[in-house]
Amino acid sequence: MARRAGRPRFPSPATSRERTGVYPALIVLGLTVLIQATLSARLRFFGASPNLLLAIVVSWSMLRGFSQGILWGFIGGLGIDLVSGMPLGASSLALMSVCTLAGLGKSSVFAANVLLPMSIVALATPIHGWIILLTLQIQPALAGPGGVSVNWLDSTARIIAPELALNVLTIALLYPLLRRLSAALNAGRAE
Amino acid sequence: MSRVSGSTLLFFGLAAVAMTLLILSSAGQLAPAEGLAMRAARPFLLAFNGIGRQMSNVFTTARDLASLRARTQQLQTQVDTLTIENQQLQELQNENARLRELLRFRQLNPTYDFKGGQVIARVLSPGPSNYLSTIAIDLGAEHGIQPGMPVVTEAGLVGRIHKVGPASSTVLLLTDPSSGIQALLRLKRQVGVVMGRAGALPTMDFIPQGEKVSVGDVAITSGLGGAFPKNIVIGQVVEVHQRDYEMFQSATLRPSVNLDRLEFVLVITNFKPMPGQPDDPESVG
Repeated sequence: MARRAGRPRFPSPATSRERTGVYPALIVLGLTVLIQATLSARLRFFGASPNLLLAIVVSWSMLRGFSQGILWGFIGGLGIDLVSGMPLGASSLALMSVCTLAGLGKSSVFAANVLLPMSIVALATPIHGWIILLTLQIQPALAGPGGVSVNWLDSTARIIAPELALNVLTIALLYPLLRRLSAALNAGRAE
Repeated sequence: MSRVSGSTLLFFGLAAVAMTLLILSSAGQLAPAEGLAMRAARPFLLAFNGIGRQMSNVFTTARDLASLRARTQQLQTQVDTLTIENQQLQELQNENARLRELLRFRQLNPTYDFKGGQVIARVLSPGPSNYLSTIAIDLGAEHGIQPGMPVVTEAGLVGRIHKVGPASSTVLLLTDPSSGIQALLRLKRQVGVVMGRAGALPTMDFIPQGEKVSVGDVAITSGLGGAFPKNIVIGQVVEVHQRDYEMFQSATLRPSVNLDRLEFVLVITNFKPMPGQPDDPESVG
């Protein structure tokens, strides 16, 4: 009996914390990857579509910190690479890199204002895009001899610029939702 | 400090994993794993893609609706324009038919006592006054119009020129009380005078007793008095007023011309009324 009483009836706080963080992350990231690969790809603005995953990773980095941001970026990046045919790990690298920038916003006094994530995603979009372009340029070199010519200026003007505008709008919509999710997770953890 | 280090370590660790995956993936070493993952994700992708297609269809339909609305407006404008053009053409066709009738009237009546051209005149407006049954036409002195000239249509007599302006004239209709026309019943050859009546059908008065006037008989101009050429149809007898104790009998006529819907008339320009006829409303033509 005493041995039974000593056994915990509920999961330990550490286990609960992990579950409250991992499951929503997997659900949110899975849905985001699917939506980005199917739905948002149909929303074209001057040839570009919004990068939901980037907006979500930036938002999560600002809300939950650098560590969770890079985890989301890594997992989400793998997912998007899988469905998009990109070399596996390219998007993960790009998303994790912008988390460094976004993680800085967490400690800002303007973190509650949606203008800050909008500004950060405006900076993060070209960085993310250029890392992807760099990866694409060096990818054949990684696999073997040769390499592809990437038109940086054209890609920046024709892809990154319109995507930047869309991402700013997207994060303005998503950031409040993710802030609620983060608050809900915090509340769950407090219980 | 340790947390920062942990994050940094996590970043570099994951970055190293990502780089490794990138190299392996670029080399095609991960193709089986990627294929497996894609196979697992395939149903979800298909489902989401279906939703995306449906949403896209909705947006496309909405966009099509907007363009269809614009197209409908454009077509409606075209329809309106064509309708107006069609009405104008129909109007021209009707006008053409009426003008042909007028010309045919001229060709079919070679026995009239006049020669020369008949002027086709457009009716400008119905009579402006309730007290005088007139119409205005767009022919005047400039066109050789003179007071007293008979005005007809292919159906019969309309009246006579009452006042003449430089470019327009007033026609005194046969229904005006001041109008008097020497007439003849076509079948019985009885003479009389067709007088207009205010607000009522004209009557043919002063028909001698003797021959019985019958309803349906047609009154024509007799040519007596010199105000009108003879044999122009005036109207049809619709009612006979005959009393044995009276010297004359009378008949109510329905004018052969629908005077309320006149559009084109002919002015017989080569007919010269007898002097004093047109200027004297009381005179009998």
